[in-house]
Amino acid sequence: MQDTNISEQSTHDSSLNEKNSEYSHYTAAHQNLASCRTCHLVSNIDLVYCPRCEDRLYFRNPYSLQRTLALVVTAILFYIPANIFPIMTTTMLSDASPSTILSGVILFIEHGSYFVAFVIFTASILIPITKMMVLLWLCITTYRHTKLSQKDLSRIYQITEFIGKWSMIDIFVVAILVALVHITGIMVIEPGMASRAFAVVVILTMLAAQQFDIRLIWDKQNKHD
Amino acid sequence: MLIKVPELSENQSLYCPGCHSHQFTLYKNALVHCVAYSLCALILFALANSFPFLTFEAQGQSRVITVAQAANDLIEQEFFFLASLVYAFVLILPLLYLVCLLSLTMSLLAGIKVHSPILIGRTISFFYPWIMAEVFIVGVLVALIKVISMADIVFGFAFWAYIGFVVFLLLTANIASRHQLWQWVDDARH
Repeated sequence: MQDTNISEQSTHDSSLNEKNSEYSHYTAAHQNLASCRTCHLVSNIDLVYCPRCEDRLYFRNPYSLQRTLALVVTAILFYIPANIFPIMTTTMLSDASPSTILSGVILFIEHGSYFVAFVIFTASILIPITKMMVLLWLCITTYRHTKLSQKDLSRIYQITEFIGKWSMIDIFVVAILVALVHITGIMVIEPGMASRAFAVVVILTMLAAQQFDIRLIWDKQNKHD
Repeated sequence: MLIKVPELSENQSLYCPGCHSHQFTLYKNALVHCVAYSLCALILFALANSFPFLTFEAQGQSRVITVAQAANDLIEQEFFFLASLVYAFVLILPLLYLVCLLSLTMSLLAGIKVHSPILIGRTISFFYPWIMAEVFIVGVLVALIKVISMADIVFGFAFWAYIGFVVFLLLTANIASRHQLWQWVDDARH
């Protein structure tokens, strides 16, 4: 069992070593060094496991693009029910009024609270959509030419990764409202189907951003130099 | 881009010469500060969970909730998935992060041998992106703006404690950057 494992690794390594000339001369990969994906320690790829955190070393995470694409596509599919179904239902004097993500934003605009409308619109509509589009686009740009520099692409990816969790605001709003607004017989708020779907969207987009290997951006730029 | 990391003196930051992105900052007395901040965060976390969070008063009825109530009521509505998410992102993961970090930093400070530092380091690296305490605060504020016109809201002691907890959590995370964290793990191993 262990023997086959080792031989597998060694063939894997030798195939990587042959490819090293593909990496540009100023990258670590050109010198047979790989940055650890967990602790960022740069060490020789022949060690197979990082000497500091014992995670597996890769020049580029395996199937990074495929995983990112699969997760983004799933997230896009989940985003449809998240917008169609009500995110919560407000029952006031036995009069139930379900509200979707978009109708919540419109309600705030009608009430004149533009700032809150803006916050919810940004967190629940703008960020998830932009994030999914950016991730798709980053996957495409790894094998297509773009005018943007490597620096800009890296920055875009870092921003995408950073803002991901802020979409969770809407879920927390629903959780707090459900717990807080509870006047027996007069007003009750119940969570809706869309809140589940939306939570899945946020988690999937966060996972997709984590799966994307930023080093793929560097490769692409070097090929076109 | 492969470069040799220069020797940094205290409170200096390192930026990548290629893409100018911030890499890490070496803080003065990082270990002591990190222990202090994370202890503060832990104490405030305990307070935030033992006092009422918010009180909702309308039509002669009043409802007092705690932080955990936000998740408990979702369980009552049979939204187990959402409830577990709220529990994990707002309460369990921040607590796990602080406990792991403290067990590492305090043993380093006291010179005690740390039990499996690599496991601690990897747990922290793995769960850190999923801590959403600061997002929860913004969510609470948005929810309050929604209901403030229809009822009286009283901020409980736990509300302020939770905000303080988030502030100290962010201060801790700022010091214990990935670079710093793994340096501590390295120190703990030798």
